[in-house]
Amino acid sequence: MKVKILVVFSVLVIALFAMSFAANTVTLNMIQVFTSPQRTHVLETIIKEFEALHPNVHINLISPPYESAYQKVYLMLSTNQPLDIVEVGDWSLEGVVQLGKMENLEPYIAKWSGAKDLIPGLLKAVRVTGGKAYIIPNGVYAKALFYRPDILAKFGITQPPATMKELYNDCLKITNPTKNQYGFDFRGTGLPTNFIDIITTSYLNDIDPSNMYKLKNGKLWFKDPRALEGLKLYLNFYKNTAPKDSINWGFDAQVNAFVAGTTPFLFQDPDTTGLLNSMLKKGQYKTAPLPVGPSGKVYPSYGFGGWGIPNYSKHKELAWEFIKFFTTPMISAYFCKEYGALPVLKSVYEDDPYFSSGVFEGWKKMFSDPQKYVFTSYPLANPAWTRWTKYQQDTMQQALLGRITLDQLTTKWYNFWKKAFGM
Amino acid sequence: MKRSKAHRNLKNFIFWMLFPTFTIVAILTYYPTIKGILLAFEDYTVFTFQNIQFVGWQNFETIFSDPNFFIALWNTVWWIALSVAFQFVLGFALALLMRKPFRGRGVYAGIVFYPWALSGFALGILWSWLLNGQFGLINDILMKLHLIHHGIDFLSNPSYAFISVIAVNVWYGIPFFAIMILAALQSIPNSLYEAAEIDGAGSVSKFFNVTLPYIKPTVVSTLLLRVIWVMNFPDIIYGMTKGGPAGSTNILATYMINIVYFESDYSKASAVGLIIISILTAYALTYLKFTSSYELGEI
Repeated sequence: MKVKILVVFSVLVIALFAMSFAANTVTLNMIQVFTSPQRTHVLETIIKEFEALHPNVHINLISPPYESAYQKVYLMLSTNQPLDIVEVGDWSLEGVVQLGKMENLEPYIAKWSGAKDLIPGLLKAVRVTGGKAYIIPNGVYAKALFYRPDILAKFGITQPPATMKELYNDCLKITNPTKNQYGFDFRGTGLPTNFIDIITTSYLNDIDPSNMYKLKNGKLWFKDPRALEGLKLYLNFYKNTAPKDSINWGFDAQVNAFVAGTTPFLFQDPDTTGLLNSMLKKGQYKTAPLPVGPSGKVYPSYGFGGWGIPNYSKHKELAWEFIKFFTTPMISAYFCKEYGALPVLKSVYEDDPYFSSGVFEGWKKMFSDPQKYVFTSYPLANPAWTRWTKYQQDTMQQALLGRITLDQLTTKWYNFWKKAFGM
Repeated sequence: MKRSKAHRNLKNFIFWMLFPTFTIVAILTYYPTIKGILLAFEDYTVFTFQNIQFVGWQNFETIFSDPNFFIALWNTVWWIALSVAFQFVLGFALALLMRKPFRGRGVYAGIVFYPWALSGFALGILWSWLLNGQFGLINDILMKLHLIHHGIDFLSNPSYAFISVIAVNVWYGIPFFAIMILAALQSIPNSLYEAAEIDGAGSVSKFFNVTLPYIKPTVVSTLLLRVIWVMNFPDIIYGMTKGGPAGSTNILATYMINIVYFESDYSKASAVGLIIISILTAYALTYLKFTSSYELGEI
């Protein structure tokens, strides 16, 4: 009997202890939008570090599939579901902020000493809506040229191309469909906006850096003869140097073809390095600056993702603690090394040689020559933006399939943005 | 008096037993349907969440002025006609083959019916890799057999892509008809065949005079259901092509999903949904008129 009482008493004590522990634990709900198994693992590691420093905090990471992540974010925010930290990418930032559920982070930034360490221009880029920051970026993305020296050496190509013309000629030289060897890692689907625009705009020397689709004189460039030449080159990359199947290639298929060596030239973001490092041996791939066009310039754009706080969160201060923790040099460097993004902090570039050498060489060179590599913004705050990327993809595919002419294509694009800009 | 009290009690009992089901159906089906219909007449996008306006027929006008809508509509007709026709004929044939017992029939049936148990979306992704023009297993096999020299652009050539998605849908849907028709076939009493044989009926005569009339109700109801399901079945197309290239494999359901995913225009998507419902309602009413409930019950 005594034993029974002792057992019951012990169970009660343990239960009470567990309940009191649970009562003191704060759970933060955090959602990521760029979900992948590798990225989830990296985030979980960082979360564990944070939880070790804050024993009473538990972070519940929500990782919806990439394709439907924003639908989940919209749904959770619009229905006030428990959420404390929310990830948003640049292309969707305006839409998410328009829900009216995001906390203005300007008062937090004003009191944050770490803000001074953010790379120049980043906060300005983030202030898409009404000049206010609603997220703190966790990584920066920009396209560079990835190439496979081992494959290119077989064709006597020892240097990465510096111009679009050289790239095209190298691709032509390599392409041999009977041997399933092609040059350019074409992107036909999965919203290829960057790919189309990088090649097309490289033919123009007067793009407005604050708007990818306007010239410095305020006019749209779609009907400019120089842009038509750029689009012809884009079409020729598909017709003459890429597999026909690449009209259906998104990110996964592009990486597959690059790893297989089928297409040794690829335009991609730094997060690709995380994947490639696990699939290729060291030295099997390198990066170089994007080739410039006949204008002597090329117009890449900064992409970014970042963490924000819903304005109805009950744990805003703790959520901000986590965001600050994520933006410390050590964690930022770890995240960017493992995941492959470019760091958001100046001190990481200065103190960690990893980000200025090896596979990051392409970006280093691009960042050091702003006259040649003109980082340009997209009109992300325009309500037409959400429709544009899919519209551009579909109409471009029609042109690739020969269903519409380039003239018809540029007329469609011109009319789209003329209406969207109210011109 | 006693009888009417018992009757009232029974009515109360039935009401309270049905009440939870009706409540759940009302919350999960009727409320979203009504809300969806209203949404089609509003301006509900990511950018207008905070200021939703009634816009009348504007969403429908936008849809009807989009040539891609009519491509999707026309594709939907072909998608349903070819998918259901082939699924039905091949499913029927399979059911006839499996009607008579043979050794290992259970295992064979399990293998044949297996695709039906899988997610259509997952199968779509699987087939998109099998049919990949560069790295696809099917092209690889065809090349190793020296039947082709270059990979076939199954999913990047618009004509091939549409045939490919229909072929996969046929493959996926055969088990449904096979299961339903096989069950109906197994319920036909042998005495009917014996009587037909005594009357001198051959195999063809038995099929048209015994088998077909007996399973007619099953055929009618499965065809009705299948047309509705296939029209509302974007899974395979979405997994394989997402409606591309250039919208060439879009059906109305994938066209609607793309509006949600890429335009975040929920009202426009609801308007497409309403058009789908209208077409299906018209179809169901016409179909039921031509195959009256009397015939459905007739054996």
